[in-house]
Amino acid sequence: MATTTATINVTSDILNSPITISKTMTMMKDANRTIGLDETTGLRTKKFTATTAAVIVEHDELTDDKAHKLYIRNASTSKANFFYVAYNTSAAAATTAETIGKLYGGDWMLMPYDGNTNITVASSTATETQYLEYMVFADGIVAAKG
Amino acid sequence: MATTTATVSISSADLMPGSPLNISASSTLMKTGITTGMELMEMGNAEVAQDYEAQLFADGPATDNGAYFIYVSNNTTEDSTYYIEYKIHETVIGRLYAGDWMFLPYNASDGDAEIEVKALNGINKIEYAMFKSAWTLPAAES
Repeated sequence: MATTTATINVTSDILNSPITISKTMTMMKDANRTIGLDETTGLRTKKFTATTAAVIVEHDELTDDKAHKLYIRNASTSKANFFYVAYNTSAAAATTAETIGKLYGGDWMLMPYDGNTNITVASSTATETQYLEYMVFADGIVAAKG
Repeated sequence: MATTTATVSISSADLMPGSPLNISASSTLMKTGITTGMELMEMGNAEVAQDYEAQLFADGPATDNGAYFIYVSNNTTEDSTYYIEYKIHETVIGRLYAGDWMFLPYNASDGDAEIEVKALNGINKIEYAMFKSAWTLPAAES
């Protein structure tokens, strides 16, 4: 059994009283909450030079209805550019069902993912190269079909 | 200007044998595409009854193309099998189990992108926050 932990820390002075959020979780399987996630698609980096949408996670590589976790980071630095991120069958990522949100330069996300539909992205710019870093912590990977 | 910083550390010594995993990322949450920090937010705690579907955040205004972030932690301690389904407009995205947290952007420009949660296996206790580029309170009833 593998042990994978994820810790978030958020600090903010938006309110008069400073906000501090600090949480740690251990990524566990759906069927047995005492066994850690022990598979991954690996950490990947992809370069985008066009606004064409692309599938970064193909759901048929993963077991459906499970407790996968998806980490994505816009590894670029410009806050003027972003990636649309969507939970969608086709490659569309902007204003589609369901666009999750926009990930600006330097922003990251970590979310639960049921593995039932592809994850797609689209860069907001074709004039500046953007890089995306992503990884699925998998609760079941389907063996490649021959 | 307010400053909100979100950092994540993901580590595992044995997920990829021979290659210890250490991911660290940090981001300062900015208003849409500019260098001014987010200045608006809401946060709270809630209990979601078993099999109850709750709206956690309402639709964004269709004209709002801003940057938003959502944080949700499932603070349920009664049973590790309890979880909430995280939904965008009726579409289930994933399962947030007791003890898990999530942090992700929110698409406020879609008028059909309300965030919903459904509690499974028992009463789930959640803590949530949304960091916003813009926010207009609902109009008062006349």
